[in-house]
This record gives sequence, C-alpha cells and structure tokens, in this order.
Amino acid sequence: MLDLVLADARTPSGSFAASGGLEAAVGAGLAATEVPQFIRARLRTVGVCDASLAVAALGCGSVDGLLALDLEAAARTPAEPLRRVSAQLGQGLLRTASVWFPDHAVLAGYRSRSVLTPRPVVLGAVARAAGGVDPLAVARVSLYDDAATVASAAVKLLPLDAAVTSARVVALAAEIGALAATAVAAAAVGDLPSTATPLLDERAMKFATTDRRLFVS
Amino acid sequence: MGTGKSSLIATLCRELSELIELGVVTNDIYTDEDARFLRAQGVLAADRIAAVQTGCCPHTAIRDDITANLLAVEELEHGCGPLDLVFVESGGDNLTACFSPALADAQIFVLDCAGGDDVPRKGGPGVARADLLVINKVDLAPLVGADVSLMLHDAAHARGPGRPVIALSLRDRASVGPLVGWVRDALARWRDGTLVSVDPGPPAPHAHAHTHTH
Repeated sequence: MLDLVLADARTPSGSFAASGGLEAAVGAGLAATEVPQFIRARLRTVGVCDASLAVAALGCGSVDGLLALDLEAAARTPAEPLRRVSAQLGQGLLRTASVWFPDHAVLAGYRSRSVLTPRPVVLGAVARAAGGVDPLAVARVSLYDDAATVASAAVKLLPLDAAVTSARVVALAAEIGALAATAVAAAAVGDLPSTATPLLDERAMKFATTDRRLFVS
Repeated sequence: MGTGKSSLIATLCRELSELIELGVVTNDIYTDEDARFLRAQGVLAADRIAAVQTGCCPHTAIRDDITANLLAVEELEHGCGPLDLVFVESGGDNLTACFSPALADAQIFVLDCAGGDDVPRKGGPGVARADLLVINKVDLAPLVGADVSLMLHDAAHARGPGRPVIALSLRDRASVGPLVGWVRDALARWRDGTLVSVDPGPPAPHAHAHTHTH
C-alpha cells in the first residue's frame, strides 16, 4: 500500500506548495489549453529522469549508494532553485518517513548524512524501507506525482475545471505506464537518462527572484 | 487576514528580544511580504526571521501538513542556536484555521475591530478555543461602529470561563502589557511542564434537542 500513500497528496511532505514550474510557465504566457502538453513534456524529460533516480534508489542497499545518487540527481538539476526545492521536498518526505520507519538503519543514516536530499532519491529510499514496493510501482508513483502536482496547481493558477483537468491526468495512464517501464529499464542497466530542460531551468532561475508568486517552484 | 498579526509579533519582539532568545517563522501566501515587514521593523536580527511560502494553502501549512514549518524552525535553531520561543505567524485565513499541536505549543487567535464586531459571535475553533484571543485595533472601533464591549462579551460567551481575551491597540502601549505578560507566563508554564494547550481543532462536544450527544 506504500505506493498509494506516497502518491497521496494528503500525506504530509510539503508538496502542496509546488507547481512543477507551471506558475513560471503561466507567467511566460502558457495558456490553459496548453497544460496537458506541459505535463506531457515534463513527464518525458524531468519525469523520466526522476523516475529512474527513484528506481535506482529503490535498489540501493547502502547510505553510500544513496549519496552517490544524490550527486547524480544534482548533476541533472543545473538550476540551483530547483535543487533547493527538491531538497526541501525530499527533507519533508524523509521527516515523515522517519516517523513511519524509525528503526530503518539506511534511511536514518541517509537522513543524517545527506545534504542534498533530492526528492526522487528520497522517494526510492523510502519505498525500499517500506519493503514490497517494486520498481515499476516506484516509477509510476514518481511520474504520477509529477503530473498531479502540475494538474492541481493548474486549477489554482488558471480558469480550469478541476474535473476536466483530472480527466487529462487519467488520460495519461498508458503514457505514464510506458515511461515507467523506460525508467525501470534504464535504472536496471545503470544508464540513467539526463534529458536537458533549458527552458524549465531558465524559468526557474527567474522565478526564484520573482516577487509575487503563489508557489515555491 | 489583515488583523495585525505581523505588527503584534513585531511589538512582542520589541518587548521580549532583550529578555529571551526569539525566532519568527512567517507563513506567506504571496511572496515573503510578512518576513520583509518584520525585518524592516528592526526588532530582531534578520537571520532570526524565516519565511515559509505556503502556495495558496495557508491553513494546510499550519495543520494538515506542517513539514515546511517544522523544517523552517529547525533551520532557525541550526543557524541561531537554541531558542526560547519561536513565533509562527500563519498566513491569515478563515475562522476555522488553527495550528496543529505538533507545531504550536500555544495559539493566539487575532481578530480586529474593523473586521466586524459580529465575528466573536460567529465563533469557530480559533475564537472559542485558542489559548488566547486578541481583539486588535480597538482604537479603530469608534470609526467603524464596532462595539468592543459587545465583542468582549460575545467572546467570553464563546470561550467560557478561564480562557483569556485581550482587547488592545498597538498605539496604546499600556494595553499591550497584558499580551506580553500572557506570553511570558505561557513560556514559564511550558518550562515548568504545566502548560496545557487545548487543541482548538476537534469539534466541541455538543448536544441536540433530542438529548443524544456525539
């Protein structure tokens, strides 16, 4: 059931304050009708990268292994504000997971030693601590969470019907499944994708200095 | 919203910063306006004021999902050393918003006269069960036709005996004294282990006409 808990927005981890770069995109002129494309573009780039990292973390039995993945995640996040937000989201999830699994040695060790705590790495590590969560499930949680974060922010930022927006997410089921399989395959051979997203990164840099904003990213 | 929380915190910092180690976490809905206001007041070192952005959900950040606030408090202590007291200022919301006991040891709910003198009568968990209810800006009452004594009466009725209400105006220093006293007293009781905070959140037990309770 842990995969459901991890995908649930109600689970406390501070994620309600993120928009997945949507607020910056709207500020740059993204229209309400373009939200589905934005989500899909994210899933195929940032989404599959994060999902692969999470799957790799799921397979990590040591703190050192997780710390090495921290660096892999950081290398794929050139924009400092995005590293910072990922770190905060990761720390938030790690804090809550430490209440679930207080005696898990690797999770505790990672929590005390990791400075970067990127969210995808934390996601995988927490899934491992839970036990019984398979790689495909972790990849799907990661991708679904990415899409759902943007979708729920979209309803706050744009004149959208929440039911219609959720229909768009439901329509992504097959695509998320396929991307999850890609992420699992990539992690299995240690070839984590590293798709660059210069527009998202550039917007994130500007967004971090923006005065009037609702979300942290 | 707009009830004077930031100004109250600034006043408390001014009165208390020489006596105890203070920190402040502000929750802003739209950028870090409150944090910047507080820093501009110069009542506390800037690095003792942390801003948490709550992304449209100010009530969530203090109750359902307090992780961002907990992380901010931890970072404050990490940077400033042990703190005696941390004020967490919520983003301002509605009558049902209240803090999780996991975040706040004691809660102050702030109303202001210009917000309508019927608010205490409307009640809600904050009005009824916050550890302290503050009725702020009493100097404005005559200008907006608000009856402060009515507000105090309604508040006392909503809160029951033993739950303090303070009416004050930041322009009247003498009226601020009781607020400072209450904060110092709450801190002393917390240190003693005798501070009993009641969670305003759960619905108060109530009965219907058919004499069944739930």
